[in-house]
Amino acid sequence: MHQSYRFAIAYFAIFGMLLLLSGTLLFISKLGLSYESVSLFYLGNPEKFIMAKSSYGLLEIALPHLGAMGLFIFVTGHFLLFSSKKEKQKAILPVIVLFIAALLDIASGFMIIKGWTFFVGVKIIAFLSLQLIGLYLLWVLFSLTFKGIQKYRTS
Amino acid sequence: MKFTLVKDIKGDTLMRPLLGGLLLFSLLFLTADIFLKNNHMGLTPSHLAQTLYGDEEAYVEAVSEHFLLELMHSDIFFMMMTLLTLSAIYARLCQNKTIRIVNINATMITALLTIIFLPLAYYYSSHFILAYIISFYAWHILAIFMVFASLFYLFIPQKSDF
Repeated sequence: MHQSYRFAIAYFAIFGMLLLLSGTLLFISKLGLSYESVSLFYLGNPEKFIMAKSSYGLLEIALPHLGAMGLFIFVTGHFLLFSSKKEKQKAILPVIVLFIAALLDIASGFMIIKGWTFFVGVKIIAFLSLQLIGLYLLWVLFSLTFKGIQKYRTS
Repeated sequence: MKFTLVKDIKGDTLMRPLLGGLLLFSLLFLTADIFLKNNHMGLTPSHLAQTLYGDEEAYVEAVSEHFLLELMHSDIFFMMMTLLTLSAIYARLCQNKTIRIVNINATMITALLTIIFLPLAYYYSSHFILAYIISFYAWHILAIFMVFASLFYLFIPQKSDF
């Protein structure tokens, strides 16, 4: 592989980590990580003058995320196709779990406003899984690319 | 990323217009981003300071933390996708290894710096405003250079082609 590609992929992994970090900060500042705060965000509270979320409001957020998350997971995962068979095997499960977690993360909001409060917990777990597994995959990608850069330099 | 595997991308009849179109869209994206940010937040120290901290005399409210985080979140995504694609095309077309690596690194580092300087300017000190503006223009100019260089290598016949 071109040395320049390795640099581009290593930076992609760093950008990806920053994307996850900004997503986490946004989630914590808007929804919080507790069951009560997430319920409050979606279902609102008339006493506190907090409006419940509408389906169209959620769709506005879901639409760009459906495109972006799918693309992000695909691009991150597909770089591991260039790695060894062992590394490729290690990436299969995280990639599948990431797609499922992303889907649950997006869909949970709709379920919550339809009254299925069980999905509040699902939302939190899906979000945390998405961040942690995403971080793991990006770290694997970064370390493999970094090793490639080092190996090329020494050779 | 098929273009990273096709041997002669200049000779490929479909790959040339495909890459040309993608480069044109990248150029339009980068230009539009400058205009949008200039209009939305300001790209001069005084305008950006007014957006970030507000101005009582001009009745301008400071932007909220949510606004800033949402802006950064979407910006990071578009930056990473645009720069990854652009770097891959540029790396494939530019023949000079040193220029290629220096340019890719410089663009990526300045782009990363914009992500770091904006929250620093918002939360810590107005000193980072100028640093943000410089790094913002720097990564855009470097990326636009990569677009033009790629277009040049793609459509203008080079000595090595013969």
